[in-house]
Amino acid sequence: MHYLLMGNPNCGKSALFSRLTGSHVVVSNYSGTTVEFASGKMNLEGKTEKLMDIPGTFSLQPSNKAEEAAVELLEEGGAIINVLDATNLERSLYLTLQLLQIGKPMIVVLNMWDEVMKNDIEIDHQALEALLGVPVVTTCALTGDGLITLKNRLPEARTGGLSADNNSNLWQAVESITKKIQTKGEAPETFWQKLDHTTIHPISGPVIALVVLFFSFAIVAWIGDWLHEEIFDEAFDLLWLPVAEYLSITMGSSGWLHDILIGELIDGQINFEESFGLLTTGLFIPIAVVLPFVFCFYLVLSLLEDIGYLPRLGVVIDGFLQRLGLHGLSIVPMMLGVGCNVPGVMAGRVLETKKQRFIVATLIAIVVPCMAQQAMVIGLLGKAGVTGLAIVYGTLFILWIMLGVIMNLFIKGKAPEMLIDLPSYRIPYWQSSVKKIYMRMNSFIKHALPYVLLGVFIVNIFYTMGIIDLISSFFAPVITTLFGLPGEAGAALIVGFLRKDVAIGMLVPLGMELQQLIVASIVLMVYFPCVATFVVLFKELGWLDLLKLTLIMLVVVLLTGAGLNFLLNLTGI
Amino acid sequence: MQKTLTELNRKEKAEIISLNGGRTMQHRLEKMGIRKHQIISRINSQFMRGPVVISMNGHQTAIGRGMASRILVRPLNSGIPK
Repeated sequence: MHYLLMGNPNCGKSALFSRLTGSHVVVSNYSGTTVEFASGKMNLEGKTEKLMDIPGTFSLQPSNKAEEAAVELLEEGGAIINVLDATNLERSLYLTLQLLQIGKPMIVVLNMWDEVMKNDIEIDHQALEALLGVPVVTTCALTGDGLITLKNRLPEARTGGLSADNNSNLWQAVESITKKIQTKGEAPETFWQKLDHTTIHPISGPVIALVVLFFSFAIVAWIGDWLHEEIFDEAFDLLWLPVAEYLSITMGSSGWLHDILIGELIDGQINFEESFGLLTTGLFIPIAVVLPFVFCFYLVLSLLEDIGYLPRLGVVIDGFLQRLGLHGLSIVPMMLGVGCNVPGVMAGRVLETKKQRFIVATLIAIVVPCMAQQAMVIGLLGKAGVTGLAIVYGTLFILWIMLGVIMNLFIKGKAPEMLIDLPSYRIPYWQSSVKKIYMRMNSFIKHALPYVLLGVFIVNIFYTMGIIDLISSFFAPVITTLFGLPGEAGAALIVGFLRKDVAIGMLVPLGMELQQLIVASIVLMVYFPCVATFVVLFKELGWLDLLKLTLIMLVVVLLTGAGLNFLLNLTGI
Repeated sequence: MQKTLTELNRKEKAEIISLNGGRTMQHRLEKMGIRKHQIISRINSQFMRGPVVISMNGHQTAIGRGMASRILVRPLNSGIPK
C-alpha cells in the first residue's frame, strides 16, 4: 500500500515527507511551495512503502492547477496521511472531514505541535481520535518530534466513522468538533506579530519592502562579487592554473585537442576568461563566476522564504502587480525565476487562470534574467562602474512594467484577485534552511555544468569549422546595423540558446565599448531563454502559447536592442 | 449597523454577515474558513487597491479589494444591530 500526504497549503507536508523518506524536497514558509507531487520510499517495519508528497489544498474542489493535481492523485488509491496545521485546527478539519467521507484508510497528523504549546492552545488529541475514528498523532516536522510515533502508527490507518451529509453541514460538524476538543487562551501580542503588522502597514510596508529588496540585491551583488574575485578566482589561479598549464605544455601548446581542452593562449598564457577551452573557461564560468552569485542568491532567498516574508511582499506590491494582470502571489514565481527560470515558470501553477499563468511565464522568460546571466553581466559591466549596470537593470524594469501592462490589456481572460494566507513569521530552522540551500546548489551544479561544457565545446567546434563566420555574416544586418554590435556577437546569440552565461562569456574577448556591452547584455538577457526553460515553457503553456511568447519576445528584443542603441548613441554614453 | 469589510476600521472587530459574491468567490472564501458568523478583525489594507488583511482565529489572510468590498460585516464594538 502507498501513502499520500494531504493537507492545507503550508501545513508541513513537505517537511514530513523529507523526514519520513530521507529524500530532499524544497520546504518553505508559504503556501504553494509544492506544485507537483514528489514520490519517495520510506522504511516501515522492515518493508519499503511508497510515500507521495502532494500539493496543498483547502478542499476537494480545486481552484488552481496544483490543487487539481492533488485531487487527481487522491483517486489513484492508497492510504491518506492527513496533515493538519494544529494552530489552525478549525480550517484544517474542513478538509479532514471531506477526506473521511471518501472512505479510505487514513491517519491524522497534528503538525506544528510546538507552536500549539507556545501559543497557549490546548488540543485533546485523544478525544479527536475517538471522534474521528482514525489514529491521531502529534508532530513537529521541522525538528522531527513525534516522527517515531507517527511511523509506528501508520499501519493503524483505517477508515473513519464520522459522517456529514453536505458542505453546509460540514462546517457545522467542524465547529462542533473544535468546540469539544480545543481551548484557546488569549495569547498576548508577540514581537513577531508586531513586526508582522509593520511589514504589511500601508506606509511602512512598502518602505520595508524596498529596503529588503535593495539589501537582497546588494548582498548578492557585493558578496557574490567578493567571493568571485577574492576566493574563487584566487583559488583557480592557485590550484587549477598549474594543472592546466602542465596539460597545455604536455599537449605542445597547440593542436585541435589543445584548442578544445585548453583553448587559445592569450599572449602565450592561459586566460580563464578568454581562452575558451573546456578545462579553462568551461570550468571557470560555472564554478568561479556563477556559483558564488548563485550561492548568495539562494542564501538570501531561503532566509526570506523560511522567515515567511515572501507572501507579505506579495501583499505590499499586489496593487502594483494588478496593473500587470497579476496579483501579489506572482512575486513567488518571479523571485524564484531570478535564481533560475525553470522553477520560476513551474511555480506559476499557483496562479488561478490561464491568462495569469501566461503573463507570469512570459515576464519570467523575457525580462527576468537568471542568476547565471546576472553574474556574467555584473562581471562584464561592473568593471566600468555602475552606469552600465544601472542602465541594464533600469531597462529590464521598464520592460517588465510595459510588457505586463500591454499583455494585461490585450490578453483575454480573467485575472482574479489574490486570496492568500499569511503564515506566521518564524525563526528559520537552520538545518532545514541549510539543506535547502545545499539542494539548490547541487541542482545548479548538476544542471548547469554539463550544459556549459557542451556550450563551450560547440563554440570550439564552430570556430574550427568556420561556422561562426557564417553565422556572423548571416546575422550581421541585424546585429551590426540595428544593435551596433560587432558581427561576432551573432555567434553568442546562437550559443545563448543553450546557456546564456556561456554566450555572455563569448562577449569578453570581443573588446567592445561600454555602449555595445550594454546593448549586447540586454539583447542576450531578453531574447530566447535557455533550452531548459524552453522545455518547461512548452510543458506549462503548450505549443500555441509558446509560439505567442516567442513572437512577443522577438518583437521586444528587436525594439529594445535597436531603441537602446539609438538612445545611447544620442546621449553618447 | 452593517459595513463592508473595506469600510471597517483598522483593528475593528466584526462578525461576517454575508458573502455577496458569485458562487466562485463564495466557494474560494468558504473553503479557507471565511464564512458567515465568523469573527474577524481588520489588520491593514494597502494603497493602489491592494488587499485587505484580516485576522481570524489568530491567523491572517489577505483578501483582494474587490472581494473584500462584497463581504458584509457587523462591527462588534458598536452595539446593537439595526
